[in-house]
Amino acid sequence: MLTVKDLHVSYGGIRALKGVSLAVNKGEIVTIIGANGAGKSTLLNTISGFLKPTRGEILYNNEKLAHRPDLIVKTGICHVPEGRLIFANLTVTDNLILGAYLRNDSKAIKEDLEKVFTLFPRLKERELQLAGTLSGGEQQMLAMGRALMTNGELVLMDEPSLGLAPLLVQTVFDIILQIRALGKTILLVEQNAFKALNIADRAYVLEQGRIVKQGPAAEIARDPAVRAAYLGSKSVAMKA
Amino acid sequence: MTQFFQQVINGLSIGSVYALMAVGYSLVYSIMNFSNFAHGGVIMLGAYFGFFSLTLLHLPFLAAFLLASIGTTILAIVVERIAYKPLRERKAPFLYFIISAMGASILLENIVIATIGPTFRTYPEVFARTPISIGPLAIGRLDLLMFVISAVCLTALILFIEKTKMGKAIQAAAYNIKACALMGINTDKVILIVFGLGGFLAGVAGVFFGMKYTVYPQIGNITTKSFIAAVFGGLGSLPGAVLGSVILGILETFVAGYLSSQYRDLIAFVILIGVLIIRPSGIMGKNTEDKA
Repeated sequence: MLTVKDLHVSYGGIRALKGVSLAVNKGEIVTIIGANGAGKSTLLNTISGFLKPTRGEILYNNEKLAHRPDLIVKTGICHVPEGRLIFANLTVTDNLILGAYLRNDSKAIKEDLEKVFTLFPRLKERELQLAGTLSGGEQQMLAMGRALMTNGELVLMDEPSLGLAPLLVQTVFDIILQIRALGKTILLVEQNAFKALNIADRAYVLEQGRIVKQGPAAEIARDPAVRAAYLGSKSVAMKA
Repeated sequence: MTQFFQQVINGLSIGSVYALMAVGYSLVYSIMNFSNFAHGGVIMLGAYFGFFSLTLLHLPFLAAFLLASIGTTILAIVVERIAYKPLRERKAPFLYFIISAMGASILLENIVIATIGPTFRTYPEVFARTPISIGPLAIGRLDLLMFVISAVCLTALILFIEKTKMGKAIQAAAYNIKACALMGINTDKVILIVFGLGGFLAGVAGVFFGMKYTVYPQIGNITTKSFIAAVFGGLGSLPGAVLGSVILGILETFVAGYLSSQYRDLIAFVILIGVLIIRPSGIMGKNTEDKA
């Protein structure tokens, strides 16, 4: 579905990605784990068209992606950005309706709105509240719901569990599984490597702008080097 | 008491024209986080467009009015494309936008001085000078028209922002332009529409100022007042810009009426300094961190 080939991206004088290649197949949850500054967000921002690659290409359904964010959304890729970036000055419903900006099928939009409210009952309760008054977890749900309203097939998620209370972190990962069950394909960037590997089918490890490991998520989770670097090998060993 | 109401009416009329200019500032500021100082140049050219439509083309008033506003709509968009778009594409810091805006403003003023000349010009008399009397109150025909047309324009603008899909996109862009693009919204188009709207209202304001006072290349300096009104109301907030403008207009006419017209301009700057010291975000403004 998504193929990234030899992607090089520089910005602000830093070479953030140095030849990244990866693939995401339809229906998969693929996760990219890596430390802060490894280039995870850069990768997603480049796929979404906010950054221009200096080399390499991105194919979506075997076609080259445009270089403009709104056109990329139109082709079916939606992005739940890091820090959520909800529209705090608008109501919950307005936020969700904006997600459907490119769609004109008002009936289908209404149905999708109901689907989002079924997935996130909390949002239904707060439908007319200003988004800025929501809690962090609710804002994350809103950001996900808003992305789903674009009706994109591939959902890019950038650190969805960042800054959430431990109890909510699990909820967010459960929701990601539910979103996959809706028929979506997910590319997940996470610092919480343990949880991400737990729900993902396949994983890539990104270090300093390069993919250093890839494989089935379960296999990556067992890799001693990965465990030492990202999982805190002791706690995992205790669990095992 | 009669004088009091008379001043309120005069203040409302001038304040509503300040509001036309102030919302132009505020719209651009809310989305691009910089003060578009070229707005004054666009207003000035609006005054000239209206003047020449009446004197050279001999158009009827409404047609001249419309032509001037269409002219400034296009002009505002051209300024955006030439002065700001290249900076946007390079993701330049906000300071560069302000410098570019000042450059555009100086350029527009000097183009007019070089081509049309620095002389003051007076609009032909479109309306009779005799005021309309309501009881003891006398309302100038031009003042009344200024108030009515400004109010119509501002109401239309607010309806557009609140009720349409594009209006919601503009509000969303004001909050976060990146997230706006993630919704599939063409942010370049949003910016173009915002400049177009501001430009249209600048044309309306320019014609009114030309008619009320005179036309000259520095008439754009009047936007200092509307800029102050926008800051007073809260930069980036449309209702704030309207409220700030109306209050400023009324205060000005009161000062001119009860104290001395020499203090008229003083009040605007006293307000500006006061607001910056006491409440920099203005009456209804959003948080102004990281903005230039």
